[in-house]
Amino acid sequence: MIKITENRKPKIEINKFHYIIHSVHYLLFLTAYCLLVFFLYSCTSHKEKIYRKSKIVMDTFVSITAVSDSKAEAEKAIDAAFYEIERLEKLTNFFSENSELNQINRNAGISEVKISTDILNILDKALFVSKNTDAEFDVTIGPVSALYDFYKNIKPEEIEIKEKLPLVNYKDLIINKKKSTAFLRKKGMLIDLGGIAKGYAADKAEETLEKNGIRSGLVSIAGDIKAFGLKPDKRPWQIGIRNPRAEGKEDDVMTIVELSDMAISTSGDYQRFFIFNGKRYHHLLSPKTGYPAGRCQGVSVIAKEGVSADAFATGVFILGHEKGMKVLEKMGFEGLIVDNQGKVYTTQGIRGKVEFKQRS
Amino acid sequence: MSLNSVLKSTTIADKILLALLILVSLSGIVFVKELLPEAKRVMIEVNGHPVYILPKDKDRTVSVEGPEGVTVIEIKDQRVRVTESPCHNKLCIRQGWIESGAIVCIPNRVVVTISNHEDESNKIVDAITG
Repeated sequence: MIKITENRKPKIEINKFHYIIHSVHYLLFLTAYCLLVFFLYSCTSHKEKIYRKSKIVMDTFVSITAVSDSKAEAEKAIDAAFYEIERLEKLTNFFSENSELNQINRNAGISEVKISTDILNILDKALFVSKNTDAEFDVTIGPVSALYDFYKNIKPEEIEIKEKLPLVNYKDLIINKKKSTAFLRKKGMLIDLGGIAKGYAADKAEETLEKNGIRSGLVSIAGDIKAFGLKPDKRPWQIGIRNPRAEGKEDDVMTIVELSDMAISTSGDYQRFFIFNGKRYHHLLSPKTGYPAGRCQGVSVIAKEGVSADAFATGVFILGHEKGMKVLEKMGFEGLIVDNQGKVYTTQGIRGKVEFKQRS
Repeated sequence: MSLNSVLKSTTIADKILLALLILVSLSGIVFVKELLPEAKRVMIEVNGHPVYILPKDKDRTVSVEGPEGVTVIEIKDQRVRVTESPCHNKLCIRQGWIESGAIVCIPNRVVVTISNHEDESNKIVDAITG
């Protein structure tokens, strides 16, 4: 008994010594971990971030996103991109007296007009799309589209449409690339770039972001979106396609597509419309009838260039799903068509890649 | 005391404690990054310039002056709506209450957005087409 108590004493002393040493080490560990946590946290907070600005330009909601590790650099690039869109708005505005477009329209049937490279590029692409959509996309729809007012809910009488319809024909729009001129053959003809200018502006705004040192971003002009590069988490941009029959709910998404260095545009009968006597009058007019096209609810086209995606989305919408799907396949674009019954058709390339939420 | 003798003297309990310490400190990062920026806010812009940045959880009514006139915005029970607008078609008013997303009044250049944080990396959808 005595022996044991004698032995116990020094043992306790050793334990005490160990305890102090351990405590010191734990403290050291704690400090090291605190430093590590602080280091990790400061690393994450200084990495690339997503910066976004929104504004109403081109008579619609425009949102520009840039990925950068510097807020100042991102904001400078975004401002420059907005400036570019505003510059293009001035050239392409259908209603402005001073726009370059208006000069061509005013001189319809009179003389050819000298045009800028931007207008030349847009018109050239417009004619290409007309030829490839069985003339269902046609920028010379102007005399008919001017009869409708989707803000004031005004629809024209049948006689007015019949009177203006002979003026709609893309073959009467003559562009000369060498001289950089445009000419409308018949007096009273009007070009309306509503179905193509926003896609072109998205391309140019994206170019502007890149010129300002941004390697990844997103330009969204209403339904016309251009995505480039990858997000900070190295994933492609996630673009939601709106459910065409989600009245009033702008963020009701039917499916999500992943995009990088691609453009997507959607034409839908729910974007600008009014209901008159139970009938939906929307802004996507058929150049052949002068009335809103009724074959689809919404069409989304994915292409390399925003200008193509925008114009083909309009053309395919008017064509309907059967002919429209053939056009998309011929052009090598991906796309999604919702027909007038709400049935969804997709091209081979995105079949299986898009997941559909349950639609009610 | 050398590192070897420290390692020799560590028991299983020590190791568990160490693992716990690592876990607690790492969860701190998650806690700071995920939970703190939750405060949702309502941003009201006119012509691209922010006029109000308001907390979503405080009920109030504000009015802003756009090119067409005065737009009145109401925040109540974590929802936002436009109650008065000088625009012609009143699409912004017809949109009703929103809990997320945006209300855009193009004629009066008013944009009301509900956002979570300045850094939008955690958003599920980056943009919506249509």
